[in-house]
Amino acid sequence: MAGLSRRKFLIATGWIAGGATVLYTLRNKAISVAPTIIFPDAESGAAWLQIRPDGVCRMFFARMDMGQNANTGLAQIVAEELNLKVQDIEGVTPSTSDVPPIAVTAGSMSLTAFSRPTAIAAATLRESMRARAAIKLGIPGSDILDDAGGFQTTDGRKVKYADLVDQTNVMVEFDDSKPAPNLYTFDANRDKKQVGHDVTPLDIRALVTGGAVYTADVPMQNLLFGRAIQPPVRNARIAKLDTTGVSDTKGFVKLVQQDEFVGVVCKTPSAVDAAMAKISVTWDLQQPINQQEIDRLVDVDAEMALGDLEHILLDEAHRKDVDWAIDLRFDVQTQTHAAQEPRAAIARFNDVDNEGETDHGLEIWTGTQDPFGIKRFAAMDTGLSEDDVVVYPQRLGGGFGGREHYEVERDAVRLARAVKQTVKVQWTRQDEFTASRSRPASAHRLRIATDDAGNLSDWWYGYVTGHVVFARERLPGWLLPVARMAEDMGVVKGALSPYSAPHQRVEYKDVDLPIDLGVWRSLNGAPAIFAIESAMDELAQQKNIDPVDFKITQMNGGHPRLKNCLQRVAALSAKTPLPEGAGYGRGFACGIYDKRCYVAVSADIHIDHETQKIKVLHMTCAQDVGMAVNPGQLRAQIESNLAWSVGMALLERFEVGDNAIQSANFDNYSIVRMADMPSLDIEIVDQPNIPPAGAGEVALVAGPPAIANAIRAASGFRALSLPISFEDVV
Amino acid sequence: MKLNINGVERQVATDWQDETLLTVLRDHLGLSGTRFSCGIGQCGACLVHVEGSPVTSCLMSVKDAANKNILTIEGLAAEDGTLHPLQQAWIDDSVPQCGYCQSGQIMQALALLETTPDPDDADIDQAMNGNLCRCGTYDRIRKSIKNAAIVMREAN
Repeated sequence: MAGLSRRKFLIATGWIAGGATVLYTLRNKAISVAPTIIFPDAESGAAWLQIRPDGVCRMFFARMDMGQNANTGLAQIVAEELNLKVQDIEGVTPSTSDVPPIAVTAGSMSLTAFSRPTAIAAATLRESMRARAAIKLGIPGSDILDDAGGFQTTDGRKVKYADLVDQTNVMVEFDDSKPAPNLYTFDANRDKKQVGHDVTPLDIRALVTGGAVYTADVPMQNLLFGRAIQPPVRNARIAKLDTTGVSDTKGFVKLVQQDEFVGVVCKTPSAVDAAMAKISVTWDLQQPINQQEIDRLVDVDAEMALGDLEHILLDEAHRKDVDWAIDLRFDVQTQTHAAQEPRAAIARFNDVDNEGETDHGLEIWTGTQDPFGIKRFAAMDTGLSEDDVVVYPQRLGGGFGGREHYEVERDAVRLARAVKQTVKVQWTRQDEFTASRSRPASAHRLRIATDDAGNLSDWWYGYVTGHVVFARERLPGWLLPVARMAEDMGVVKGALSPYSAPHQRVEYKDVDLPIDLGVWRSLNGAPAIFAIESAMDELAQQKNIDPVDFKITQMNGGHPRLKNCLQRVAALSAKTPLPEGAGYGRGFACGIYDKRCYVAVSADIHIDHETQKIKVLHMTCAQDVGMAVNPGQLRAQIESNLAWSVGMALLERFEVGDNAIQSANFDNYSIVRMADMPSLDIEIVDQPNIPPAGAGEVALVAGPPAIANAIRAASGFRALSLPISFEDVV
Repeated sequence: MKLNINGVERQVATDWQDETLLTVLRDHLGLSGTRFSCGIGQCGACLVHVEGSPVTSCLMSVKDAANKNILTIEGLAAEDGTLHPLQQAWIDDSVPQCGYCQSGQIMQALALLETTPDPDDADIDQAMNGNLCRCGTYDRIRKSIKNAAIVMREAN
């Protein structure tokens, strides 16, 4: 959208009504703030903020909040640039009609991608205010110094931002092909007042008083309740449908069937449960669903026996016939998001010919990582034009990569259209397990050889996994085979090791698995790095060398930030002695997520023969986060990743049965509980000169192998598949 | 049918009398701080107090709650807005991430502190083990329960 039309757009939507507003045009395509993964548009992507006529600074919160709290970090940057307190900033979550498309919230990219544009927008606004102050006071801008909430002159006169704006619209434009103003956020010598300090989420009071609003909490008039059947896999067809007795359900409103879509609308939530229980569907599957079939499809050894894998990521003087010191296969099974909030959506169709509150034919309230993707898919699904659809994004009760698709929204939209009334749909927990697009199973073959000096000479890593980003129905059907010829950015995460060897090959194949799969926290990062870090640890154990020293040596002078993390975590772990006795062990692992985030983790475990359990006692983590904008929230993200590490290593077992997903609820899919949680010691490595690296899915790459390596240290057992059970070890 | 919720008497309309306590609280009476998450009493997100005892409201028929005293997260702070020591401790240590489970966590922690004013780690493990948090905020929950317990003991 060009500057002029964008300006008109912002005025038309009421976003601009006096005061000064920054219009920020991103021309630098290298900055990955594309709107949605699916339909990138380099012209879009913007950071708006504004000094209102009353002097209040207002900003759009462009990130979808699912607990990572990125908007607070961006507000800190705005506050730093404008000499405000972060609490003074008014954040607004925009609807899809308030702004041009903004990027999907994913990939731990929020601070990485948005910190600089946000800082530039705020600094541009500050400097334009300074210029206005110079005109108002009739003195040069160089005599106007920063002050809290505005400026002061060298002779002590104060000017607040509110004194510099009025009801007239002022547009401040910045084009990133021009030089940036002085950015306080990235000035390492500045004594920062906002950036680098702990700020609790701005809305935390609502989170502890029950006042926080998730989708299902949005108050609505004349609301009906609905739900649709989730098929075991999305390409399943209905072979037989029995709806006998559904319409007799007390509170029943309507049964809706449209091709493979079957749903009901009722007056109350429990009536929906009762009506749905009466619907019976026999599915016609395009391929059988069972664990053996999944195992067969990801069988890396069978695939490697046939020759080169489909994609070769690295090929340097590769040798096949070497005396391998390590030749191990690692299997990582399906894992699912299990976010605490089952996804929900509310849809309402409006007769736009009448005078109403909105000129949109369809309104959708939903917690999603990708509001603009939902808008586009809703338009395609309903035949409405995109201008006719508006999405009001809501807070998410956990995302973890699982909330990017038009799914529960589709259910609400189709049901609302059928009954011509507002309908709310919230998935059941079983729907979540069935249809959340879990992380695919994968199998990894790692071969390592060493030279006479004990250094790595050969590295051969091949793996097979289900698709991640190019999973079914993420893309239009005709595009899928084309896209899959390219690298799937989710599948390649974590595949390149930090270790150096003269002879290397890394290759993979991604395959269509019979269940629906997709993006899960760290994508392929955690599975790949589990394999790499387990193999390197095993090699060190066999050589009887300290694994931390061995890994640092084998980086061969590369990756100084990763080396630093490993050294720090070795020191951090040494602060807590490992208990004496049999069954205790300590393990280490490290990893790089997405070429920008560096982490090392240690784990202390106990193999407890009395309780017949493996217990993680203590974990430490050193993570290089680039510039730490909000250390307390970075720490929270690391804690969350370490909790997930325990789950991935020891607890989470996704059961696929005969033509159905067996895992249906928390009684048959274990996630970490209070008693499973280890004590934690976390060190954040702050690099004020490096842009923020992101933290949402980083420590999860190193946590599981650290636990597996601790089990090896305690028992000699090398875990070759996850999750690891007590029975595996003894 | 009447419920006594947070000290206020509320009527349940006829259409809603076959519902669970959870859906009545949320969708009929607008008290949406109590959350739906598993529907089978396995996660604690819907936890409220009925006659002083913690109950997973997704499993309780509203008929069984009729005329009883119910405390939800919305009733925990004082009328003047002063937060309960547990809520304040939760803020002080910035416990919530996505926040969805935290109403239930706080209500379960309240039940723990009412019977065990000075809980140790084993007490907390036992009392809180049925309250799931996918974000993994357990370490902060543990600390905050202990911090709130100190404040509450000093107040008594």
